[in-house]
Amino acid sequence: MTQFEVEIEELKKEMINMWVLVESQMEKARQAMIDFDKDLAREVVLKEKKRVNAYELKIDRDCENMFALYQPVAVDLRFLLAVLKINNNLERIGDIADGIARYIIELPEPFNKDILEQTQLLRMFDDAMTVLSETKIAFETEDTTLARSIFKKDEMLDEINLKANTVVAEYIKVNPDNIMQALVVLSIIRKLERVGDQSTNIAEEIIFYVEAKVLKHHKKA
Amino acid sequence: MERPVIKSVNFNAFFGTNHVVKNVNIEIPKHNAIAVMGPSGCGKTTYLRCINRLHELTAGATSNGEMLLNGEEVYGMHPIFARLKIGMVFQRPNPFPNLSIYDNVIAGYKLNGLKLSKAEKDNIVEQSLTKAALWNEVKDSIHKKGTFLSGGQQQRLCIARAIAMEPEVLLLDEPTSALDPISTSSIEELFHDLKKNYTLIVVTHNMQQAARVSDKTAFFYMGELVEYDDTKTMFTNPKDTRTQNYITGRFS
Amino acid sequence: MRNVNIKYRVAKSKSIQIIIVMLAFIVILPLLAIILYIFKEGATKINWTFLTKIPKPVGEAGGGIVNALLGSAIIVFVASIIAIPIGIFTGIYLSENKTSKLAYWSRLSVDILQGVPSIVIGIVVYFWLVKPFGTFSSLSGSVALAIMMLPILIRSTEETLKMIPFSLKEAGLALGLPYHKVILRVIVPCGVSGILSGVILSIARIAGETAPLLFTAFGNPYLSYNILKPMHSLPLLIFNYATSPYDDWHNLAWGAALILLTTVLLLNIITKLTTKRWNVQL
Repeated sequence: MTQFEVEIEELKKEMINMWVLVESQMEKARQAMIDFDKDLAREVVLKEKKRVNAYELKIDRDCENMFALYQPVAVDLRFLLAVLKINNNLERIGDIADGIARYIIELPEPFNKDILEQTQLLRMFDDAMTVLSETKIAFETEDTTLARSIFKKDEMLDEINLKANTVVAEYIKVNPDNIMQALVVLSIIRKLERVGDQSTNIAEEIIFYVEAKVLKHHKKA
Repeated sequence: MERPVIKSVNFNAFFGTNHVVKNVNIEIPKHNAIAVMGPSGCGKTTYLRCINRLHELTAGATSNGEMLLNGEEVYGMHPIFARLKIGMVFQRPNPFPNLSIYDNVIAGYKLNGLKLSKAEKDNIVEQSLTKAALWNEVKDSIHKKGTFLSGGQQQRLCIARAIAMEPEVLLLDEPTSALDPISTSSIEELFHDLKKNYTLIVVTHNMQQAARVSDKTAFFYMGELVEYDDTKTMFTNPKDTRTQNYITGRFS
Repeated sequence: MRNVNIKYRVAKSKSIQIIIVMLAFIVILPLLAIILYIFKEGATKINWTFLTKIPKPVGEAGGGIVNALLGSAIIVFVASIIAIPIGIFTGIYLSENKTSKLAYWSRLSVDILQGVPSIVIGIVVYFWLVKPFGTFSSLSGSVALAIMMLPILIRSTEETLKMIPFSLKEAGLALGLPYHKVILRVIVPCGVSGILSGVILSIARIAGETAPLLFTAFGNPYLSYNILKPMHSLPLLIFNYATSPYDDWHNLAWGAALILLTTVLLLNIITKLTTKRWNVQL
C-alpha cells in the first residue's frame, strides 16, 4: 500500500470512531431521557462533546494536509470532499445530542408516559439512531443501496415531525399543567427531525463519493 | 533534542566569483526525509554536492562555512572519508556497465580494495537489494550485467549500491526525473522504508514529489534558503511569500 | 510543372546513389587485386622448409625465412612492451586533463609525431641508439617502431576514455573511491574494448614498416635472439630480396609478403572481433 492509501485508511478509521462516539451520545441522551438520569445527560454534555469536537478538528486538519500533500484526484478527491462534509454533519448531530441532553438536565421531573407514546417520541428516537447507524455502515461498506434507503427513513421522521404539532396541541388542551413538558417534547422532536436531515446529507455525500452522482437538491428516486 | 545528522552554519558556495549558495543555515534531523526544492538555478543541487564534497571537484569551485556531519566538520576530514559516510544517487541511473549486478552492489568495497569474506559479501548484496526493493526481481540473475534492467530498476540498483556502504546520510539528486511515473512512484515508496535506517536528502524540482515524500522541506530561491519547515506546514501555510508564490505556481 | 520537378529530382537522387555505389566498389578493387595477386604468388612458396630454415647463400636453392619471421615477432613484441604502457597512460592523462599546459604540448607532439615520415624516425633513432653504442640492434628497431605506435595508442585511448560519460566517474567518486582508483578501476575497464582495439591496430600498423628498420635493426642473415645485436625482419627481407636478381630470393620474398599480408589482415579482423566481444554497453 502506498503512503497515501495508508493515510486514507487511517482517515476512515477516524471517521468510524467519530461516528461511534456520536452514536453513543445519542444513546446516552435517549437513556437519560427514559431513566431521567441527569448524570448520564451531563456526561453527554461535558465529556463526549469535547471529544467529538476534537475529532472534528483533527479530521478537518488531516483532510487539509492530504489535499496539500497528495493532490488527490477522482475517487480519492471525492472521498476527501465527502469526508469534510460528513465530518461537519456528524459534529452537528453531536450538537443535537448535546442539546437534547441539556433539556434533560433542566427538566424538573421525568416525562409523562402518555406524551411520550402519543407523540411517538421514543419511536422517533429509535428511528433517528437507526438512520445514524445505517449511514455509518453505508460509509464503511460503501453501500449506496443502503445509503439510498436512508432517504425513505428520513421521510418517516419528517412525517412524525409534521404530525407532532397537532398531537402536542391536543395534549396541551387535555393536560394544561403539563405544558412545559409538552413544549420540551416538541423541541426534542424538532431536533430529532434534524438528525434525519443531517443523515440524509451524509447519505448524499456517500453516494457522491462512491458513484460520483450529485443527489443534492434533487428529487430522491 | 537529538543532534542533527547534518548541520550547515553560514555555508556559502561559489563557482569562481559566482555566489551560488548564500549563507545557508540548516539542521537536518536523523531518520527523516528532507526535500530540497526550488526553481532551476536556485543552488539546491550545488548545496547537495557540497555536502559530500563533490562540488569542489569542478574547476574553480569553492565554498566556505561550516558543514557538520554528526558534529564533525566535513571539510576538515579527508574527502574520501566524507564520501564513505555520505552516499549519493544521481539523476541519471549510473550503474557500472562492466560489472554484474552483484559486483555493482559491493563496488564500494571491491573497488576500494576493502576485503570481505564471500559470506559477508553475499549478505551485504542481499540486504542492500532487499532494502532497495530489487532483490526479488534480480535474485536469479544476480551475476549478469545489469544492462537488461529498466530505468527504474537501474536506479534502485544505484540506491542499493549506495546503501551497501551503510552511509549516515543518503543524498539523492533528482533521483526520479529521468524515470517514468510508475518507476517514480515505486522509488518514492522506497523512501518511506529507507528513512527508517538512513537520513535522506532529496533534491527535486517536482514540488508534488517533495510534498508526497518528505517530512521536512527546504525551499531554495536564488541561492538562499528561504524557508525550511515541516512539509505539512510548508504546503498548507508557508511563512514566506516567495514560498507561497512558488508552491502556488505564481512563478516557476 | 510540379510533376516535372519531382521526376528530375528523383532521377538525380538515383544517379548520385549509383555513382556512390560504384565509387565504393572502385575502392575495394585495389585491395582485392593486391590480396589475390599475393595469394597467388605466395601460396605456393610456403612450406615447412620455408618456415623453419634460414636463407641459403646466393645461388643455392631452398632456404627459408625463419630468421626474419622470428625477428619480426621479437622486434614487434619489444616495441609493444615499450609503447603500450606509455601510450595508454598518456592517453589516460590527456583524457583527464583537457586544459593543462602539459596536455597542450603533449597533444601537439602527438599530432606532429603522426606526420613524421617513418624513415626520419629511423634516422633519429640511429643517432640515439646505433651510433653511440656502435652497433645495429633490434632494440633500436623496436624503439623506432614504438615511437610510431605511440600516436595511434594515445589517440585511441584518449578518444575511448573521452566517450565514457562523466556520470560514471561521479558514481565512483561518490562511493568514496580515490581519484586514481576511479580512473583505473572504473573508467579504464569500461574502455577496455576501445583501448584494446587501439593496441591491435597500432601493432598492425608497424608490423610491416620497413624504413625505420633500415638503419636500426639492419637485418641479419642468421638466426639471432639477441636484441642488442642486428636482427632480420619480414619487411627488410622483402625489401632486399624483391629487388635482387635471384629467383630463389624472389620466391622467399613472395612467401614473406603473403605472411605479412595475412598477419595484418588477421590483426584487423581480430580488432573487429575484440571490439565486439569486450564492448561495454554504456
